[in-house]
Amino acid sequence: MKVSVVRGGGLAGVVETTTADSERLSEGDATALREKVDAAGFFDLPGEVERPPPGGADRFHYAVTVEDSGRAHTVRRAEPDLPEALGALIAWLSSVPGAESGVAPPGG
Amino acid sequence: MTACPGCSIAPPDLLAAIAERGDAADREAAQRTLAASAVLRAQREAATRRWREGAGTTGPAEAAAAAERAERAERAGRAGGRRTVYDAGHGTEAALPGRKVRSEGDKPVADAAVNEAYDGAGLTYRFYRELFERDSIDGRGMGLVSSVHYGTDFDNAFWNGSQMVYGDGSGRIFVRGGLTRDVDVIAHELTHGVTQMTAALEYSRQPGALNESFSDVFGSLVKQHHLGQTAADADWLIGAGILGTALKGKALRSMKEPGSANDLDRQAGTMRGYADLPDDDDPAHDNGGVHINSGIPNHAFYLAATAIGGHAWEAAGRIWYVTLTTRLEAASDFRAAADATIAVAGELFGTASPERQAVSDAWKAVGVL
Repeated sequence: MKVSVVRGGGLAGVVETTTADSERLSEGDATALREKVDAAGFFDLPGEVERPPPGGADRFHYAVTVEDSGRAHTVRRAEPDLPEALGALIAWLSSVPGAESGVAPPGG
Repeated sequence: MTACPGCSIAPPDLLAAIAERGDAADREAAQRTLAASAVLRAQREAATRRWREGAGTTGPAEAAAAAERAERAERAGRAGGRRTVYDAGHGTEAALPGRKVRSEGDKPVADAAVNEAYDGAGLTYRFYRELFERDSIDGRGMGLVSSVHYGTDFDNAFWNGSQMVYGDGSGRIFVRGGLTRDVDVIAHELTHGVTQMTAALEYSRQPGALNESFSDVFGSLVKQHHLGQTAADADWLIGAGILGTALKGKALRSMKEPGSANDLDRQAGTMRGYADLPDDDDPAHDNGGVHINSGIPNHAFYLAATAIGGHAWEAAGRIWYVTLTTRLEAASDFRAAADATIAVAGELFGTASPERQAVSDAWKAVGVL
């Protein structure tokens, strides 16, 4: 299972990408990754949702992609719209040993 | 008309402009100030006469209420507004605002983030109150709510539509504890609230870049005012000294030299560098480049303020404030902002004034005009 989290926006406006491959994680972390993806009901989440009315500023925006057993799915959300379990997956991924991250300027 | 150097409150010409064209909250704030001034006493008396004759709605009771409101705002202004700081306890959106840890007038607590959020909100409140007679974000004395310790290692500070929120920083994008350290960052976020309540600039493409730019402009001005700096002395940086290890440089952004603040700073300083990005669900597109293209109006403000000289909040800041709160709307683009600031400069300082010339020259220099 491969997971990537692309986070843009925020006060800084930079794009941080974090990726993890269960093959390169410890056995315990690989199991935890799979459990968190399952807990988020990831493959059943709609790819996009209606955007909230404007009001906030400098919020993060996320695109989370999971590839597993030949299927792939991407979920895009602004931070306030993140389902709790998906937020937990993102937070966990940012600190798990073996995950890789990089920062790039906005613009794609 | 002439400028009013050294005035600690807005001059009547500015108030009149706001009273005439501002949104409801601004009109009320401006009107109650004007109502208290000797200059307009005659008009008020005329209104009272009309009211007595049954032709108007302004009466002695309303005037007394306005005086009471002004007095209440004056008391709040001395203190720093009605501030409350909460501890989000590392929770996210659903946990806001969190546990109350410091209210207006309370002594400092042991948690530095709480005190910094409190002090920064107070400096921002006093800036708007003393210079522009604006009573808080909404112009009606709205309480300033801040939550600290949002999320875990959260690399962001934001305005969520009704309050300020600060993460702790992870050390990657921001140093730990850095997000409450710079008053320009705090004022940047609170100004998003002012923009929301006034021009309501859509957070997308050019209106979004203007939204970002007004936050940088007033973020920097609150810092300059706090430090008593002239336009020539100011560093014109946003987020100086708080970058984590992933960003190499001195700050997040530079209004003086957009694109130079750190190694990932791609801000444009002129329309030649404008990034025409779509506003879609791709996080890399940054709502259509709002944090990239804001460098263009940022640099225009810097150029105007330094050409005028002195304290940037006195002339350039006042022009930008009147423009934001009374002239722009959700879909306003760079050209609309340029035209409006030039018109406002002419109204406040005279059509042949050096201030109006400086503003016009600045927008030409960045390629918007």
